[in-house]
Amino acid sequence: MLTFVDEILLLMLDDEKGSFLPIRESTMGYVLAGAVLMDLAFANRIDTDPNQLMVLDKTPIGHSPHDRILENIAASDETRDAKAWIETISREAPEIREQSLSGLVDNGILESQEEKFLWVFRARRYPTIDGRAEREVKLRITGVLLSDETPDPKDVALICLADACNILRDVFSDREISRIRPRIDQIRKLDLIGREVSGAIQEIEQAIMAAMTHAHH
Amino acid sequence: MMNIGEEKLDSVVIVAIEGRVDGTTAPELENRISEIVNRGDAHVLFDCAGMTYVSSAGLRIFLTSARKCQQNGGKLMICALQPDCKSVIETSGFHTVIDCHDTREAALAAAS
Repeated sequence: MLTFVDEILLLMLDDEKGSFLPIRESTMGYVLAGAVLMDLAFANRIDTDPNQLMVLDKTPIGHSPHDRILENIAASDETRDAKAWIETISREAPEIREQSLSGLVDNGILESQEEKFLWVFRARRYPTIDGRAEREVKLRITGVLLSDETPDPKDVALICLADACNILRDVFSDREISRIRPRIDQIRKLDLIGREVSGAIQEIEQAIMAAMTHAHH
Repeated sequence: MMNIGEEKLDSVVIVAIEGRVDGTTAPELENRISEIVNRGDAHVLFDCAGMTYVSSAGLRIFLTSARKCQQNGGKLMICALQPDCKSVIETSGFHTVIDCHDTREAALAAAS
């Protein structure tokens, strides 16, 4: 069974090239941190409200970055909200990403290729070898966004993450995105962790814009 | 702590929720909704007059319940939210996917 981290990473990858779609590093960090918290929430290990994130059960879920993060949250003396945890966990994004990619390779969904360029630089690419999992994820997303049906909470969470890193444009055309924007906006508010991920990304983007404007003057 | 009361008025099953709906209590609410829908009742009203708190896990059960009712040809409605819970429901946009009414009477009138 794929985790939210696995599913969002599959959506972030260009299937044929096996490289990541252009996503800012900080955005990827927040989205992966949010995905870890969603995995823990859906496994009934944590719960959230607008003011705090609470640990319900410290039992590991069997995924190493998630379990280590759960342990850290449980060990914290301080009561913090979901947003504060997203910021903390986002620093571990490279490890979360590598562990998930390696699991996807082990499960025969992706293959790992090392590529040299300019003779010295190396880059790892992850072309898809079994596209069923990703097709199923895309089908779920389109099913929810193109209908008026009450969405499944798992699909809501995934749409929140996908919209936060702006990769729905890889699933839908620009024209379709404009048409379904009201539905996306309706869905993405429904998950508190997803909402906090979007909020954190927006704050970073606004800070960057402000810094750029300041630099111009 | 959460208590669940249940009564049926015409075709609507009224589920009166008292106390906290959170990660600890939400599974009980989910089981109750499954029982109600599985016996063929798909029009359900959550009377939240006694609900004092709802967390993300609770909201997920609201969504799952609405989905179950819809898939079985019915509808989930919510009524009588206390101000704190109403604010959580509105901030998260749940009132755009689940019909919310101020009173039980208003919800039942809308259902008939």
